[in-house]
Parts: sequence; structure tokens; C-alpha cells
Amino acid sequence: MKRAGQVIAVVAIALLIVAPLRLNGYLINLLYTTVLSVALAYGWNIIAGYAGYFSFGQIAFFGLGSYVTALIVVDLHWYWMFAALAGGIAACALAVPLGYVMLRLRGPFFAMGMFGMAQMVRVLVTAIPGTGAGAGLYLPPGSGITDVYYWTLAIALGSIALTIWIDRSAFGLRLQALREDEQVAGTLGVDVTRAKISAFTLSALIPGLLGGGYALFLTFIEPDSAFSSRLDLQAIVMTVLGGLGTVWGPLVGGVFMTQVAEVLWARFPQAYLMIFGGLLVALLIALPRGIVPAISARFGRRRA
Amino acid sequence: MIVLQLVVNGILLGGVLALSALGFNIIFGVMRVVNLAHGDFLVLAATFCVFLFTSFGINPLVVLPLTIAFGFGAGALVHYGLLRNLPSDVASSEASSLTLTFGLSYFLSGGGLALFGGRFSSVPFLTGAYQVAGVSIPQARLLAFVVAVALSALFALFLRTTAMGRAIRATSQHVEGALGCGVDVDRVRTFAFGLGTAVAMAAGTLMSFLVNLNIQQGVLFTVNAFAVVVIGGLGNYTGAILGAMILGLAESFTSYYLGATLAEAAPYLLFILVLLIWPAGLLAKRTA
Repeated sequence: MKRAGQVIAVVAIALLIVAPLRLNGYLINLLYTTVLSVALAYGWNIIAGYAGYFSFGQIAFFGLGSYVTALIVVDLHWYWMFAALAGGIAACALAVPLGYVMLRLRGPFFAMGMFGMAQMVRVLVTAIPGTGAGAGLYLPPGSGITDVYYWTLAIALGSIALTIWIDRSAFGLRLQALREDEQVAGTLGVDVTRAKISAFTLSALIPGLLGGGYALFLTFIEPDSAFSSRLDLQAIVMTVLGGLGTVWGPLVGGVFMTQVAEVLWARFPQAYLMIFGGLLVALLIALPRGIVPAISARFGRRRA
Repeated sequence: MIVLQLVVNGILLGGVLALSALGFNIIFGVMRVVNLAHGDFLVLAATFCVFLFTSFGINPLVVLPLTIAFGFGAGALVHYGLLRNLPSDVASSEASSLTLTFGLSYFLSGGGLALFGGRFSSVPFLTGAYQVAGVSIPQARLLAFVVAVALSALFALFLRTTAMGRAIRATSQHVEGALGCGVDVDRVRTFAFGLGTAVAMAAGTLMSFLVNLNIQQGVLFTVNAFAVVVIGGLGNYTGAILGAMILGLAESFTSYYLGATLAEAAPYLLFILVLLIWPAGLLAKRTA
């Protein structure tokens, strides 16, 4: 069983690596979107699934990452991957103090606080001179979709590895303990503040790194695309669908939902957000624990 | 003089914000559910009024009973059909109700966008103004304020004098206690969700001739209602009115002194500051 899983993983990764050499433009785009969505879902899963803090504002770090990358590429002419790396570092640099302040709030107060924070980051970032404010910012063309795809694939694989590690480590146990009961976890000797801020920062690093690739992919960014509420909502729906706080939930939910999203976006662009919102509502009632836990319950495995 | 003018503007806006916050407050009080779709109901009502006015010339005040009735029905349905059916054994029911209303918020704003489009619009209604001691009081704002105050008073009267109002207050204070006294808590919750949504849509009807709105601004009004309730104290209706006045004044001053871009961030900043200054009070209330 375990051996079979490893073989599947190796084959899948190999296919993902050679895929761009064989696929046409549309399919590479779809593959990139899928990998991006999966990685974003993994990012959200750490803070919401493992630590139990429902942040509705992680897109702030994605937007910050894309703007930092765009500004560095345009003004300092760095190679874009270094700029995207700087975007990830900027996201972490913001997440540590922000987490220190915001993670004092709990439940809906944290969720709403982060929502407001994302709006503020959006307004403040686009107020920086050189970002073109609402009008947007053009990036120099040059890097192809293939580079962006490999960058995003590496981050997605990294975040899966990170989640596997979290799921098995003492750090993950600390997070799950504070998710179940923060006060009890504290009295049992868990450094609650440190664990929360670490989870929050990891959850910010992933979208922070992804943002730069997205900016290059679009070659033009403006506030609505960088701080895309669509991507934010998608990451949440995918994680909830796949299974919150599970290792494979974001992957299953992400791959499945990206294909659904692709069809919906192509056919009903007007009603897209409505359908996605309705889907989230329906899922919470029909499949509240998500696909992965439902499957492992059926086949009697301890957990996925 | 400009300061006095800004104060008047802020208070008039605060009246409508207070009405909206009352609806948000009752839902939180009775169910401990933060309704993230609150603002979307509000904006939907406003957009609907603009649509009726521009297409058929119907006065928003005539539409008011209709939006209230529709809001009550829609809200009751959301609780009866959706929130009530959330499985209670999932790790955190608070998180799942929050996520559900988050999805509902996108459902409503996305639906509204598909139906009405995303233009900024308002009802050009009562565009005149009274001049009092050098301060200009726009008629539309004054009217919205008066109607909002009247509706808030009716709301308070309902909570104090009727059996359902008593049941709502009992459920907010102590669910098990209310159950023990024979209150049908499920029914009270359905009613409260209906009432809260009706109030949101009433506030939206008044907003339609106060400010230029776009269907996707629901979030802003959800945050406003949340901030008002947090400033005033959860379940505290007098406090909510005070909170609404503070927020109304803050909006009126920031949009004048800071310019459009930064003023957009101001309500969020105020909201976060308030959350951070009063978290202890909030948590104390929640564990009670």
C-alpha cells in the first residue's frame, strides 16, 4: 500500500515535470491554474485546517507577493524568480507582526479582522507610487508560461511536503491541540502564540511566493487580479471540499474544483461567483467533512 | 463650519448604520452566528430600489414594505433551510456557520452582479437641502435618518413588548435557560434570522438614496455592521447606536480629510483597531 503510493507519487511528479514539453498552450494554462489553486489551498489549510483559525484574508499575501515582484522586476530589473522570492519574504515579514496582533482574536473576530486587513493591505499596496493604483502595472514580457509553471509546481510540491511534515510532527500536534482547545493546549505546555504565528507565517509564505509567478503569468496586474477574491474563495472551497485539516484534502479538492471552475468560468462568467458561493453552501451541508475523510471512513483507514 | 457640516453628515449616516447593525446584532445575539452575507442583503435591497426607480420611477419608500417582507422571508429561509441543517458534530460549528454565510455572501453578490450589473448608482430622490445656521441638511439624508430611527424604535418596542421579543432576548441571554422555560429555540432562531435580514434590507432601501452603491460593496456594510456592534458591545442595543454614530462620524471625516483612496481603508482600520482594543470584552461576553 505504502509502496504503491510512493510509485504513484513519483510517476505523477514525473508527468507534471515533462507535461509542458508535450502540451499545447491551453492545456499548459489549465495545468498552471490547477497547480496554483492546489498550492493556494494547501496554504490556507495550514492556518484554517490545522490551527483552526479561519482567515478570510490570506489573499493579502498573494497580492503583496505579486506587487512586490512586479515592482522589483520593473524598477530594479531583477530576474523574476528572485523577485518572486522577495515577494515571499515580504509576505513573511508582514505575517509575523500581523499574526502577533491579529491572532489574539478568535473565531469570527479573527476571520472578519483578516478580511478587513486584506482590504487594507490592498488599498495601501496600491497607494504605493509606481503601482499605477487602480489602473494597474505592466510587466516586461520575456518569461514564458513554462518558467512560471515550474516555479508554481515547485511551490505546490513543497507545500504538500510541508503539510505531510506538519501532519506527522510535534509542531502539527501542537497546532491540532490548540485548534481543539487553546486554553487546554496552553496549560499542557504548548507555546500557543509561537505555534499560531508559525502556522500563520507558513500560510502567508505560500501565497506570497505564488503571487510573483501569477504577476508574470498575467504580465499585467491591477488590484482586482492580484487581490483576487475569486482565488481567495476558490482556495477555501477547495480545502473544505477535499477535507479541512487533512494532508490530501487540498489536492483532491483543488484538482477537482479547478476543472469545475474552468467549465463554469468558460460558460457562465457572469454567474461564476454566484455558483461558486452556492456550491460552498451546498457542500457544507451535504459533505461537511470533505471528500478525503469520507473516503477514508468508507475504507476503514485511520486517516488519509 | 465645515466641521459642523461633517458632524451633521456623520450623524445622519450613523442613523442608517445603526439600523443595519441592529439586524446584525440580533442574529449574532440569538445564534452566535456572524452573518457575513448581511451587507450583501443590504446592497441587494439598495440595488433593487435603484432598478425599480430608474425603470419604473417607483419611490424607494413605497418599496420599503416589500423589501422588509422579502428580507424576512429570505432570512428565515436561510436559517430554516441551510444553517439549521449544518451538522453539529463537525469540529467547529462556529467555523462552518461562518464559512456558510461566506459562501452565501458570494452567492448573493454574484447573483446581484449577474442580474443588475456592477455599476455604481443611487436613486436621485429628494435632491434638495435645508439650510440651517449655515449647515446644509440634504433632504434625502434627513428622511433616511428619520425612517431609520422610527424603524429602530419599532424594533426595540417589538423586543420589549411581544412574546416573541421576550423569547428572542431570553435565547440571546442563555440558550439552555430559554429551552428550560419552554422557548422553542429553533423557531426563535428562524424568526430572528428573518428579522435581522429584514432590517438589513430596510437599511439597504434607505441607503439607496443616501450613497452611490455598487452591488459588490456588501462586504463594506458587513464590516460596518460588525464594527458598530463591536464598538457598542454585543447584544447591547444602546451601545450599537453610539457605535454607529462614531462610525458615521469617522466615515464623514476621513472621506473629507484623507481623500478617496485612504478613506476606503479607514472603516477597516477603525474596525481592526476596535477589535484589538476590546477583545477582552468580546471574549468575556462570548464565554458567558
